[in-house]
Amino acid sequence: MIEFNLNGKVVRSNAFDDTPLLWVIRDEFGLKGTKFGCGIAMCGACTVHIDNDAVRSCSLPLAMANGKEVKTIEGFENKHPLQKAWVKEQVPQCGYCQSGQIMQAATLLDKNTNPSDDEISAHMSANICRCMAYPRIKKAIKEAAKQSTLGVNIFDPSISKDA
Amino acid sequence: MKLLNKSLLNNTSKGIDNDFEEAPQLSRRKFLIGAAKSSLIMAFAPLAMSLTASASQIISDRAFSPSVWFEIKNTGEITVHVARCEMGQHVGTALAQIVAEELGANWDDIRVEHASSDPKWGFVMTGGSWSVFQMYKPLSQAGAAGRLTLIDAGAKILGVSAHSCDVKDSKVISGNKSITFSEIINKGKFDRTFTPEEMAKLSIKSPDKRHTIGFDRLALDVPPKTNGKAVYGIDVELKGMVYARPVIPPTRYGSKVLGVDDSKAKNIKGYLGYEILKDQSNWIEGWVSVIADTYQSAIKAADVLKISYQAGSSANINEQDIIDEGIKLVNQKESGVLFVNDGDVDKAFKVAASSMSATYITHTAMHFQMEPLNATAEFKDGIWHVHCGNQSHSLTQPAVAKALGVKVEEVMIHQYYLGGGFGRRAYGDYAIPAALTAKQIGKPVKFIFTRVDDSKFDQARSASVQKVSGALNKNNELIGYQHYVSAGWPTLAMAPGFMPKALDGKGNFDPFSTSGSDHWYSIANNRVRTINNQVAQKAFNPGWLRSVGPGWISFGAESFIDEVANEINIDPIDLRLSLLDGKGKNKGHHPQSVNGAKRLKTVLEHCRKTANWGGKLSKNEGIGIATSFGQEREMPTWIACAAHVKVDPRSGEVKVKKITMTLDCGTVVHPDSARAQIEGSILWGVSLALFEGTEIKNSNYAATNFHNYTPLRMNDMPEMEINFIDSKEFPVGLGEPGVIAVAPAIANAIFNASGVRLRELPMKAEHVREQKAKA
Repeated sequence: MIEFNLNGKVVRSNAFDDTPLLWVIRDEFGLKGTKFGCGIAMCGACTVHIDNDAVRSCSLPLAMANGKEVKTIEGFENKHPLQKAWVKEQVPQCGYCQSGQIMQAATLLDKNTNPSDDEISAHMSANICRCMAYPRIKKAIKEAAKQSTLGVNIFDPSISKDA
Repeated sequence: MKLLNKSLLNNTSKGIDNDFEEAPQLSRRKFLIGAAKSSLIMAFAPLAMSLTASASQIISDRAFSPSVWFEIKNTGEITVHVARCEMGQHVGTALAQIVAEELGANWDDIRVEHASSDPKWGFVMTGGSWSVFQMYKPLSQAGAAGRLTLIDAGAKILGVSAHSCDVKDSKVISGNKSITFSEIINKGKFDRTFTPEEMAKLSIKSPDKRHTIGFDRLALDVPPKTNGKAVYGIDVELKGMVYARPVIPPTRYGSKVLGVDDSKAKNIKGYLGYEILKDQSNWIEGWVSVIADTYQSAIKAADVLKISYQAGSSANINEQDIIDEGIKLVNQKESGVLFVNDGDVDKAFKVAASSMSATYITHTAMHFQMEPLNATAEFKDGIWHVHCGNQSHSLTQPAVAKALGVKVEEVMIHQYYLGGGFGRRAYGDYAIPAALTAKQIGKPVKFIFTRVDDSKFDQARSASVQKVSGALNKNNELIGYQHYVSAGWPTLAMAPGFMPKALDGKGNFDPFSTSGSDHWYSIANNRVRTINNQVAQKAFNPGWLRSVGPGWISFGAESFIDEVANEINIDPIDLRLSLLDGKGKNKGHHPQSVNGAKRLKTVLEHCRKTANWGGKLSKNEGIGIATSFGQEREMPTWIACAAHVKVDPRSGEVKVKKITMTLDCGTVVHPDSARAQIEGSILWGVSLALFEGTEIKNSNYAATNFHNYTPLRMNDMPEMEINFIDSKEFPVGLGEPGVIAVAPAIANAIFNASGVRLRELPMKAEHVREQKAKA
């Protein structure tokens, strides 16, 4: 029995220890937003967060998720700035890879609130978009970075504490 | 992937309904408007239908078989039903925009529904960059008929004359009076029929009055694709279903299972057994389906199954065998069949002061759409229900029926979002093993190909060989041109009814492996022969890959024209411009290719200005140009493309720095998704030119997954400048055309940067090094 936290809820699975987390998330817990692409961690369609790191769930044995916090695209509840930016920039074409792209991009913005073009390319080249919506993925990440209130807070004495 | 040549339509053989061209089919239909329950329904219906019943009666009885329709609920919600699939083009949005434009609808009221299989839709294929081109007219007319009806009813309620009324934001407006569509539907009575003649006479808005076409709307399919809610074929779950995975046999054709040992699989928890599939159509032979209660168990069990086979007879074909056969074929004067034959080519070459020729090769290229093939199948209430994303119910439904040995109407295909199509989901043969497994075990089955299974069962773009020759007179004018193209033919394998008769009457040919050779350059003596490579045909199932024939044929044609320019020392743009005179057959015709080659000339001139052509470049850099007119000569999207590359003189590595593209596709219905299609297809072009490609090895594809098939990633993305010519002409296609000119533009740029002429796709650093060493 493996127990982990899935989008804020504790869940338990009796699947084999070596079952890729992807199939447990999709078929046992019914969260279909995470996609199967290659099965060898080469395409990124299955990207989820485990303790806030982007992980390829198609190649992660269930046992490795034991006791961890797993977040999928559904866990963002449509509130993540990247999701808004993805709509604003009209990023998805077929859309199949986009959950993975968003999960991957989120870990970039977590660590780097203002990534450069090259930093975005380096981070996002781990994920394939077969429709090649890359220019828009890049644009949307920049847009989200602009909108994001995450990251470095600069103390501005002119703004009151409660504002 | 689509050809709209009228002669083609006339030549389609039995088995494929000639109705596949949507517009004429609809022109034989009448348009009904009537109320049913709380909705106003507007639909095309067959002419032959009841002559006595009223439109309203027919609609409320649901006695009709509409092929294009939309409805307005009394709440004001407008649903447009489209028989086109969504695979990234946002096609539902563009088609709904056309209806909304004429209807005068508020965009916020619009919804789109994608249809499941039903004969009422006629021949349905989402491909060929065809959707907007085909549906523009009928949807405009349908919207206009709706507008007229709403105006008449609204005017009556408002107590004004219909002539004083207009529509806007889902309201009928007359001076300072107005009434919403929803109020009209609640209060009015509707019973109206438009004859085909009346439909044809309806006035369509002039371009300057448009409020929806040509304006950006947020694509309706985007939000669910950002939060995990979009449902793809692979997300389908049916009650009581089990999972299955195939074991793909050693050869595409003729394999036979001799024995299966599943003793090891039996140790895997959840393994339920295997089935040797019995396909009554013999489309798949020697397939074993492995069944389990989870997909992971099916994957594991399939891996440990021991199957002995008798392989098909052509088990040992390699890429080089296909290429060798192609080279042989393009060098035989009479091989294949005649496609273009203008003037007297033999004479031109005989009297020529000089001539030149070159042979171009493209290697096997694969789909690798992100969503691996899958289908979920179930027999319920006498119907075989197949759930999967697919580009063509019309090709998939009969294929499944034939495999099952049932009637076509006993199969129902349910549509979902496609995790990429690119031509692989046009002939939905992946539904066959799903349906057969469901049949043989008597249970609903979710049948998923792993990525490796998907690759093995791909329908790759065949390797190709083409030879282009030119004859020049003493003034260095191109007086003769000859182009031989050869490849494995997808249409022969999957839709032979679409193969038209050749010009010489000596057989039929695959238009999707030929078009692109019928260029718009005015050369008096011009011949094209198209040749099936049967070695390729035997080894694997050739497929339609985004941009099909023009995607590889233009690599030859547009490289060659540059080679000629270089030979005679003329600027390659000047040479092209001199041949684009728009005379004779290159004049084009109304409506889709009006002004013909002159529009190609315009985009080329525009691209020349925007692409820094002739400007100063850094060392080892070059700009190359190419034009295209895809997706078909009968549906031309006029494109000029410039590639700016840098070639590392030592490693031979090619970096594409920038692509500049100018295009004229007539009226742009949805500018932002048009741009998105071009961005994606330019990158496809770069990817196919430099990063993709595999080889046939023992009649299988060498590439199996993303570790050995490597499409372009973000770090390889060049800068792009895309310019659309502002046009009010008839809209043509955009899904594929952007791919076509990219590879030859890069090849020409490599030549300009390094002096190395590459005649093989994909173009690799080692090719540059080899050529440099030879020079």
